[in-house]
This record gives sequence, structure tokens and C-alpha cells, in this order.
Amino acid sequence: MNLIETKGRSLTFNIFRYDPQEAGDKPKMVKYQIEETPGMTVFIALNMLREHQDTSLQFDFVCRAGICGSCAMVINGLPTLACRTLTKNYPKGEITLMPLPGFELIGDLSVNTGKFMRELAERLKLWLHPMSEDADVHRLETPMSPQEAAKLYELDRCVECGVCVSACATKQMRESFVGAVGMMKLARFELDSRDSRTTEDFYHVIGNQDGVFGCMTLLGCQDNCPKDLPHMQQIAYLRRKMAMAQF
Amino acid sequence: MTVRTLLPASATPDIGGHPWSAKADKIQSATGILLGCFLLAHLHFESSILLGKQAFYQVVQILEGGMFSETGHGFPIVTQIFSMLILLVVILHAAVALRRFPVQIGQWRALRRHMNVIKHKDSHAWFWQLVTGFILFFLAPVHIFTMITNPEIGPHLSAERVYHANAWLLYALLLPAVVIHAMIGLYRVAVKWGITANRSGLRKLAKVMIIYLITIGVFSLVSYIYIGHGLSLPIEPYVPTGH
Ligand code: HEM
Ligand code: SF4
Ligand code: FES
Repeated sequence: MNLIETKGRSLTFNIFRYDPQEAGDKPKMVKYQIEETPGMTVFIALNMLREHQDTSLQFDFVCRAGICGSCAMVINGLPTLACRTLTKNYPKGEITLMPLPGFELIGDLSVNTGKFMRELAERLKLWLHPMSEDADVHRLETPMSPQEAAKLYELDRCVECGVCVSACATKQMRESFVGAVGMMKLARFELDSRDSRTTEDFYHVIGNQDGVFGCMTLLGCQDNCPKDLPHMQQIAYLRRKMAMAQF
Repeated sequence: MTVRTLLPASATPDIGGHPWSAKADKIQSATGILLGCFLLAHLHFESSILLGKQAFYQVVQILEGGMFSETGHGFPIVTQIFSMLILLVVILHAAVALRRFPVQIGQWRALRRHMNVIKHKDSHAWFWQLVTGFILFFLAPVHIFTMITNPEIGPHLSAERVYHANAWLLYALLLPAVVIHAMIGLYRVAVKWGITANRSGLRKLAKVMIIYLITIGVFSLVSYIYIGHGLSLPIEPYVPTGH
């Protein structure tokens, strides 16, 4: 690759800046210019900005490979993972970055999704509730069918990035609504043959206006999930299951 | 219900299933489907005026139960009874759908803020369903009450209502509102219960239906205005040819 090829266009980043810890700080949008490099992602650009232009810029990342789910933010109106978003996909070279709405703001583009996910797991009890006989550690577990395992594995791909929560207008309007990620995960245990919870148990958790019947099927979750998880199908499944439980 | 059965749910507000949540959701969808299907039929019957006065006259006689009378004329009371039933369904539908309204100003602001930050088509579609639902809350009962108090329908009688009694103004607002609301609504019922996985096809169908229904509606409204314009008061009911 010769040098001329690597000399890229100039990108304009419009970044939300606000530090709640700093007294008197007000939310504002700040413009940055940066030269594009081949294969540049929004995550790489942010690191270059922080390194060369503004060391106070706050954003999260860990894996830079779409696995940890830390780097989610709103990029030109679409919530997604910064490390999987190539800057070359923006022909105008203008990129606006906002923090994910609906989460506690740590600063600039960094939000506390971890706290949300933990509270959600506690509220919905998002762990396996084994059958009583399985509690005996000396007993061999019944093998699971490969089809069932594949189905559960598919749903386990969630990286807890929080995109589906931010993309949901229902969740933004109603704080107490569980949101898609919670229902996805609950459906995963509902489908798990090892889980001892009955339909009534699940109804007790999500059979209300803050659960599956509060979902208005806006499908922001389905359309934005960076892992392409089947929210629409899973929530509809839970809705049917829960609706049948009550006559 | 005793205090003991009520307590756990109210003591832990965020957990505890409520039997009425499932019922309300089912009622909302069922009444929505009922109204949506009724609308599809209604707009086609009403648009038979595009095939001429004779066609519309016959449709009205059949729907008013003309086959059960000696003269072949229908009974307007059929319209009255049917209108009351529809009114009942609309009230039931509105009562459960009102749960979805952003009733607090904070909720409304959250919705608007979300729409400004996040670009998402289906959320915008829901917004329009909400706005048109709100409009229908006022306009639909007006239309239905008129049909209960003045159930006379016919090529000339309807034209009188539209043109001389200025109902065209109501219909011009009601038509786009109800069509948009109902078609987005039927699309939503299908995806929310998982009736089909072909979402993009369904969305296209909804768009085509919105354009189609508004088109036939506008054309029939124009023809009623045209017929009404050509009639002078007092209106003589239409007499079919060959009788
Ligand atoms: C009169 C003709 C009407 C028709 C044909 C109709 C049809 C529908 C349909 C098919 C749905 C989808 C149901 C679902 O999501 O389960 C719906 C939802 C809705 N309707 Fe109506 N409706 C009518 C009148 C009204 C009125 C008068 C209101 C005002 C209160 C209203 C408010 C709503 C709202 C807010 C929703 C959305 C609920 C949600 O997203 O879950 N509708 N309607
Ligand atoms: S379901 Fe998708 S969008 Fe939601 S948290 Fe998991 S990976 Fe992110
Ligand atoms: S940094 Fe881990 S998903 Fe982006």
C-alpha cells in the first residue's frame, strides 16, 4: 500500500459531551475533525481523538470485536456497536455520536448498562432454576437434544449491550417496563427443558403491563440488535404463552 | 378478593402477574381486528357509488335486509342496531387502547425525544397510530351517532348528508385517520402475536392498502358532493329505474 492511498478524507465527528460529575457542566455537542484511515471503525476514531485531541473524552470498550457489548452508542440516529461500525459507511463523512438513551450517564458516551443488566437479572431471576432431582450433584444430568441446545445457544448470543433497551420507545416512556433483553432471556429459560419454572411462574414475573403485555410491538429491539437476535419471534411466543395462561 | 390476595402484588409493584393484563391485550387485538375488518367491508360498500346510483341503492337495500320485506326496501333500523353494536366495540377498543396513551407530559416528551434521537420506521408508524387513534376518539363517535339518529342511507339521502348537511368535512378528516390507524393496527396485530414472520411483505401490503382505501374513499366522497351539488332542497329519495 502506498502512502497516497492511505491519505483519507477528513471526517467530522459531532460528539455529545457532558460530565455529570463536574459541577456546572452542561450537555453540549462538540465537533472534531479527524483524517480517515483504511478500515477505520468509529471505535478506532474515538481512540485517536482521545489520544491526539481530547484526553477527557469518555467512552467504553473492551474487546473491540463485537463480543463484550461495552461500546454501544447512537451513531447517526442508530444505536449500535462502535467497534463494528466502519466510518466508510458514511459517504458524507459526518458522524454524530450520542450516548445510549435510557441508561445512567457516566459521562459523554459512557453509560452504565452493567447496573441495568444486573437489576434486570435480579428482577426476572434470569438464571436456571433446576428441577429438584437435578439438585443432586451425584446424579447424571439427562442429556439435552442437540436441537434444543442449538436453540438455547442462539439466544445466549446476547452481549448485553443495551441497544434493544435504547431503541425501544415504550421503555423510554415507561421506566418500569422490562424491555426486550429481559424478555429474550426469560424466553430462553422458558424453552430450557432443565428449568423447573412453570407457565404460572413466568406469568407472575411478566404477565403484566410492565412485562410482555406492556410491549407495544414497536420492534426497535429487533431492528437494531447488533447480534440479530429474534426479539419479535421470542416476544410474540411469550405473549401467546402468557395470554393462553389466562382465560 | 380479600386483602390477603391483594397484598403481595401491591407490596411488590414491579412483579406479580395480573390476569387483566392478558385479557386487556386480547380484547384490544380482538376489537381492533373486528373494527379493521368492518372498515374494509364498509369502505367498499360505501364506494359502490362509484359504480352508479343504482349499484349503491341495491347494496343499501341488501344490507338493510330488503329481502325480508315485501316491497324489497330495507329497514333503516338495521343500520341503527348495527351502528350501536359498532359503537359498543369502539368504546371497548378505546377503553383498553387508552392504556397505551402517553398520558403524562413526561411520557410524551420521552416519546418525542426518542423519535428525534433514534431513527426507526415502526416506532414512527406507531406514533401515527397513536395520533390517528386520538383523532378517532372524537370523530368516530360523531359519525356513528349520526347513523343512529339519522339512519337514512341512499344515493340522494347520503348525498344530502354529505353536501347539504356538510358531513364531507367530517368524512374528509375521518377517512385518512381511520384508514391509517386501522391498517397500521392490523399490521401490528399480525406481528405482535407472531401470526406471520414475513414482516416486510406485510408492511408493503399495509402501505398499498392505505393508498388504495384512501383513493376509493376520496373518489366516492367527491361523487357524493357532485350528486349533492346537483340536487335541490328538499331532497327527493332516489327511485331506481325499472321500478
Ligand atoms: C373506529 C375504528 C378503529 C379501528 C378500525 C381500530 C383498529 C385498531 C387495530 C387493528 C389496532 C391494533 C390492536 C393491537 O395492537 O392489539 C388498534 C390499536 C390501537 N387503537 Fe384503534 N381502532 C379504531 C378506533 C380507535 C379509537 C377510537 C381509539 C382511541 C382511543 C384507538 C386507539 C388505539 C390505540 C392507541 C392503539 C395502539 C395500541 C397499541 O399499540 O398497543 N383506536 N386499533
Ligand atoms: S438482545 Fe441484542 S440489542 Fe439487546 S442487549 Fe442483547 S445483544 Fe444487545
Ligand atoms: S468493544 Fe466489545 S463490543 Fe465493541
